[in-house]
Amino acid sequence: MKYLESLIYSMEWLGKKNDTIFLGQSVKYSGNAIFNTLKTIPNEKKLETPVIEDLQMGLSIGLALEGFVPITCYPRFDFLILACNQLINHLDKIRHMSKDRMTPRVIIRTSIGSKTPLDGGVQHTQDYTEVFKSMCSEINVVMLDNSKDIFPMFKEAYEREDSKSTLLIEHGDYYNDK
Amino acid sequence: MKLQIPNHLKKIRTIKYTPEDLISFENEVKKHYENGEIKSPIHLSKGNEDQVIKIFSYIAEDDWVFSSWRNHYHALLHGIDKQTLLSDIISGRSMSTNSINPRFYSSSIVGGIIPIATGVAQAIKRKQKKNKVWCFIGDMTYETGIFHESYKFSRNFELPLEFVVEDNNLSTNTPTKESWGMDKIDIPKDIIYYQYERDYPHHGTGNWVLF
Repeated sequence: MKYLESLIYSMEWLGKKNDTIFLGQSVKYSGNAIFNTLKTIPNEKKLETPVIEDLQMGLSIGLALEGFVPITCYPRFDFLILACNQLINHLDKIRHMSKDRMTPRVIIRTSIGSKTPLDGGVQHTQDYTEVFKSMCSEINVVMLDNSKDIFPMFKEAYEREDSKSTLLIEHGDYYNDK
Repeated sequence: MKLQIPNHLKKIRTIKYTPEDLISFENEVKKHYENGEIKSPIHLSKGNEDQVIKIFSYIAEDDWVFSSWRNHYHALLHGIDKQTLLSDIISGRSMSTNSINPRFYSSSIVGGIIPIATGVAQAIKRKQKKNKVWCFIGDMTYETGIFHESYKFSRNFELPLEFVVEDNNLSTNTPTKESWGMDKIDIPKDIIYYQYERDYPHHGTGNWVLF
C-alpha cells in the first residue's frame, strides 16, 4: 500500500472499534489533507471542533478518562504547538500526578506540512519531532516515514498494554508520492 | 455578596463535615508543613468553609470534581479519605490531588482543568450517563481565554458541566480586578459564584520553615 492508502486503512481499522472517536477541525468537512484519510469513517464517530487546539487536546484527555480512545487530529505540526499546555502539562504528566490511577490513551495525529507543489511557508511546514521527543516523558512520539510502518504503529497505539498515548507524525509530502 | 446558586441545581447530598472539621484538617497539614515534613508547596484554604459545604450538597458521589492547587477542601468534601489525602499531601502531592473513586482531578496549571472537565462532560453526554462534572476555578482563571472557550462550547452543546467561581480577588498576590482594569466581575447566572477573603498566604502557612 502507498502512504495515503495505509493511512486510510489504519483509520478504517480504528473506525471499527466501539470506543474510538475522531476529533479536530476538518474531520467531518474537507479543508486539509487529514480529511482525505477520514472520508470513509461514519460521521457519528466524528466530532468536528472549532479552532480550539488546546481545548481540543483537553477534550481528548477528558474523553479518554471516560473510556473513549480519541484520535485527535492536528493537520499541521505548527498548529499542535497551540495545544502544548494540555499535551505536555497534562496528558504527558497525568500518570505521574495520579500515581498511575489515571491512564488516558489518546492517539494524536499531526503532519509536517507539504512543500510541494505549494510551499506553505515557515508557519505551515515545520518539523518539531525532536523537540516533542525531548519534551514528552510519557507520550510515545512516532515518525511515520514508511508506508509499511503506518498500520503497525496505529495498531500499537490502540492496543499497547500500558495504554500510554502516542503522537504519530505524518509527512504531508508523502500523501501524493510515496 | 452571598453565594450565587443557579436555579436548576437541587440539593442531593448530606455533608458529614462541619466548618470546624475542614479548618482542623488544614491545621493538621499546617503542623506537618511547619515540622518540615512536607517538602513541596501547600496551598491551604480558610475562610470559605460555609460556602464549599453548601456547594457540595449539590454534588453527587459519582460526579467528577475538578479543582486546582488549592484543593484540600474540595477533595475532602467529595469523599477522598482524610488519611489518604493527608498521606498524599505529606508525600508532596498537595498540588495534584487525584482520585478515581471518588472521581477527582486537580492541576497546578491555571485553567488546565477546564478543557479536561469539558471533555469528561462530552463523554458523559455521548454515553447518555446521568452524572455530572463540576469545575472549581478562581477569579483569575475565570478571566482567561480557555475558560471562555470552554464555557461557550459546554453551553452550546448542553454538556453536563457546572462551573464554580471562588473569588478572593487574588492570583498569587496579584489583585485580579486591578490587573484586568476592572471594577467588578460579571458572572453569568448559570455559574455558582461567591466571594471570600483568603486567610492563609497563597502558599505555605505564613511562618518561616527550615527544611
